[in-house]
Amino acid sequence: MKNNNTRGWKKVFGFTFIQYVKTKSFIAGTIIIAVIMMLLASGVNLIPKWLGAGEMISGTDPETEIILNKVYVADSTGTLTDEDISGLTALGFPQPERSDDVSGLISRLSDDEAGKVLVTVTAEEADGAILGYAVKTYYSPETDGDSVDAVSSAVVSVMKYRSMLDIGVKPEDFAATQRYYSTSKIQAGSDEWGVFESMINYIVPIVFSLVLFIFVFAYGQTVAQAIATEKTSRVMELLLTSVRPLAVVIGKVLAMCLVSIMQFLVLLLAGGAAFAATAPFGIGGDIMKMMQDPALQTGQNAEIAQALNNSFGTLSPLTFILILVIFILGFMLFALIAALVGASVSRMEDLAQAMQPYSLLGVLGFYLAYFPIMFTAESFDTGAASSNGMQMFSYFFPISSPFSLPSALLLGTLSLPQVLIAIIVLAAFVALIAVIVARVYEMIILHNGSRLKVKDILTLAFGKK
Amino acid sequence: MSLKVENIVKTYGNYRAVDGLSFEMKEPGVFALLGTNGAGKTTSIRIMLGMLSADSGSVTWHGKKFCTANESIGYLAEERGLYPKYKIMDQLLYFASLKGMKKPQAMKALDYWFERLGVQDYRNMRAEQLSKGNQQKIQLIAALAPDPELLILDEPLSGLDPVNAELFKSVIREEIKKNKYVIMSSHQMSTIEEFCRGIVILNKGKTVLEGDLNEIKKGYGRVKLTVKCEGDITALAQECGLTATEETPNGSSYNVQSEQQAHALLGKIMEQHIPLIKYELREPSLNEIFIEKVGESDEK
Repeated sequence: MKNNNTRGWKKVFGFTFIQYVKTKSFIAGTIIIAVIMMLLASGVNLIPKWLGAGEMISGTDPETEIILNKVYVADSTGTLTDEDISGLTALGFPQPERSDDVSGLISRLSDDEAGKVLVTVTAEEADGAILGYAVKTYYSPETDGDSVDAVSSAVVSVMKYRSMLDIGVKPEDFAATQRYYSTSKIQAGSDEWGVFESMINYIVPIVFSLVLFIFVFAYGQTVAQAIATEKTSRVMELLLTSVRPLAVVIGKVLAMCLVSIMQFLVLLLAGGAAFAATAPFGIGGDIMKMMQDPALQTGQNAEIAQALNNSFGTLSPLTFILILVIFILGFMLFALIAALVGASVSRMEDLAQAMQPYSLLGVLGFYLAYFPIMFTAESFDTGAASSNGMQMFSYFFPISSPFSLPSALLLGTLSLPQVLIAIIVLAAFVALIAVIVARVYEMIILHNGSRLKVKDILTLAFGKK
Repeated sequence: MSLKVENIVKTYGNYRAVDGLSFEMKEPGVFALLGTNGAGKTTSIRIMLGMLSADSGSVTWHGKKFCTANESIGYLAEERGLYPKYKIMDQLLYFASLKGMKKPQAMKALDYWFERLGVQDYRNMRAEQLSKGNQQKIQLIAALAPDPELLILDEPLSGLDPVNAELFKSVIREEIKKNKYVIMSSHQMSTIEEFCRGIVILNKGKTVLEGDLNEIKKGYGRVKLTVKCEGDITALAQECGLTATEETPNGSSYNVQSEQQAHALLGKIMEQHIPLIKYELREPSLNEIFIEKVGESDEK
C-alpha cells in the first residue's frame, strides 16, 4: 500500500522536469537572467577597478603619469626653499622655476600651449596670525587634469614637510607624524571583527537569504501554478487513474527543485565565468593576486586578507554539500506548501489570492533570517561579532533556517554540530509537512467549488479523516 | 464475476452523495450508470476508480479489492482534461508511461488510434490549438491506448457532432467485440439502449432501479400505445378506459394496463371504420423508464 502511494512519482518527476525546461519562458528567462548575471559579475569586477579601488589591493598603484613640460612656483610665504622646489623633479615633474610675476604668468598661460602650470602659495592670515595656506594651480588650456592635481598635491606635501622642519621636527620624525590611526569600539567578550570582516559577514548572509527567497517565490509560484493547472484543466482526474496524489505532488515538487537548482547553477556558472574572464582587468584579479602574494598583504591589504581568511577559510566540500542539502530542504518545505495552495483552488484566477498566506510565510522566514543580520551591521561600530538570541532562533526555526543556515555555515557562525542539529530539525519539519500535505492534498485535489481557506485546510489536516 | 460494487456510501457533511450503490458486472459488456445531474454518478465513478474513498462499501475486481494503480483501466472523464500548453504526443506518451507502457509499445498503440480517429495531423500540436471535439478524441486515445480491460466512459458523446458521435460509437462497438468491460454514464438514453445490458439509475445518491435492461423492459410489458387516425378517437379511448398522456402530430400516446386494453381500442377504431394511420404497442423506452423512476423517487 505504501509503495502504491508513491508509485509512479519518477515518471511525474521526469515529465514535469522535461516539459518545464523545454518551455520557451524558461529558456528565455534563464538566458536573460544569465546575461544579467554576467553583466553584474563583470560590473562588480570592473567598476571598482575603474574607480581605482584595485590599485591599492594589487600594489600596482601606478604613479600618475606626469604630462607637464613646465612648472612655475610662486611662493609668497617664503616657506619653500630652492631645495624643496628642485625636489619636485624627484617626483617626476620637470625642473620647476620660481617666479614672482603671478599675474603675467597667468596671462601667458591662458594662451599658451598645453602642459604648463603655475602653483601659487599664499598665506591666509587673521589678526596677524597665519590661519593656513592657499595653494592655487593655474594651467594652460588642455593640460592633463591628473598632472595638475598631482603637482598641486606635491607642493602641499612639501609645504607641510618644510613647515614641520621649520618648527624643529626632525626629518626622520616627520614620517612618524604621518602615521594613520583607526578607531573602533569592541564589546568585551565578543569576537573581534575588522571593518572588512564585518562587511563580509553582513553582505554574505543577505545575498544567501535573498537568493533562496527569490527562488522560493519564483518556483513556489510555479509549483502552485502547475498543480492548479492540472486540477483546473481536469488533467488530475486522468493522472489519478494511474498514480496516487502523493506521487503527483512528490514528483512535481522534486522536479521543480531540480529545475531551480539547475537554473541556479547555470546562473552561478554564467556569473562565475564572466567574473573569471574579467578578473585580469578587474578588482577580482587584484584580490586574488594579493591573496596569493604575502608580500602584498601589508597595511589595509592585511586586514582584507585576514577578513577573507576568517570568513571563508574554513570552506570545504562538506560545506557546499550541506548548503545544497539546506537549499533542497528549504525549497521542498515551501514547494510542498505551494502545492497545497495550488490544490486548494478550482479556478486559476483564485490562485493569486490563495498564494497570499504562502507569500507571508516566505516573507516571515526571510525577515527572521534578515533582521539578525541587521544587528550584525552594528559590528561596523562595535567591531564585535554579533551573535544574538534572534539569530540563534532563526537558525533553528524551520521557516527561517533555510534562509539563515547557509551563511552561518559559510561564515562559521555556527559550529558543525550545531548546523547538523539545525538541518535535522529542518528535515524533520519538512517530513512532517509532507505527511500533512499528502493527507490534505488527497482530500482537496478533487474538490471543486469555492476556494478553500486556510482554516478549511487546517481542519482537513488535523480533523477526523 | 468480475466487477462487483457493494453498498457504497459517501457523505459530504450532512449530504449523502452516494447511498448504498450496488451492482455487478459478471461478464464483459456495457453497463450504464444513469441519473440526473447531481445524482452521484461521477462520485460513484471516482470511488470505483479509487480517487475518492468511500465511507463504507467495497469495489472488487476479479474477486480482489480494486486498486487503480494495479489494474488496467481506461477512463474518459466527464470534464475533459489535457495540458493546454504541451504537445499532444508528449502528454499521451506520459499518460501511457503512467499506465506502465514502454515507449515503443505506446508509440505503436498511439499510431493506431491517431489513424483510427483521424487525428494524426495533431500529434505535434498543443492541446489548446485543438477544437473541443478533437481534444475529446485525444482523451479517448489516452483512455484506449493501454488497451485496458475495464473502460469507464463518463458522458463520452457529449458535445460531439453527429459524425464524430458515430465514430465514437463505432470505437465502443470495437471494444465490446474485444470483450472489454465498459461502464458508461450518459444522458443520451438512445445511446445507452444501443449498447448497454445492465443499468443502474441513481437519484439523489440512491439507487432507484438496477438490473438487466431487457429484463426490466420485459417486466414492464408492452404498455406504451401510440395511435394516429384520420378522426377523433378520444371518446373511443375513454370507452376503453384510456386517457392520452401526450398528443403530438405523430399521434396520441396512452399508458395501457394490458395488451387487451390496447387491442380493445383497436377493435373499436376498426368497427367505426376510422382510417388508421399508425398503431404501435411497445415496451417503454429507457427514457420513459428513467423519467418514471426518478419521478417516483422524487415523490417519496
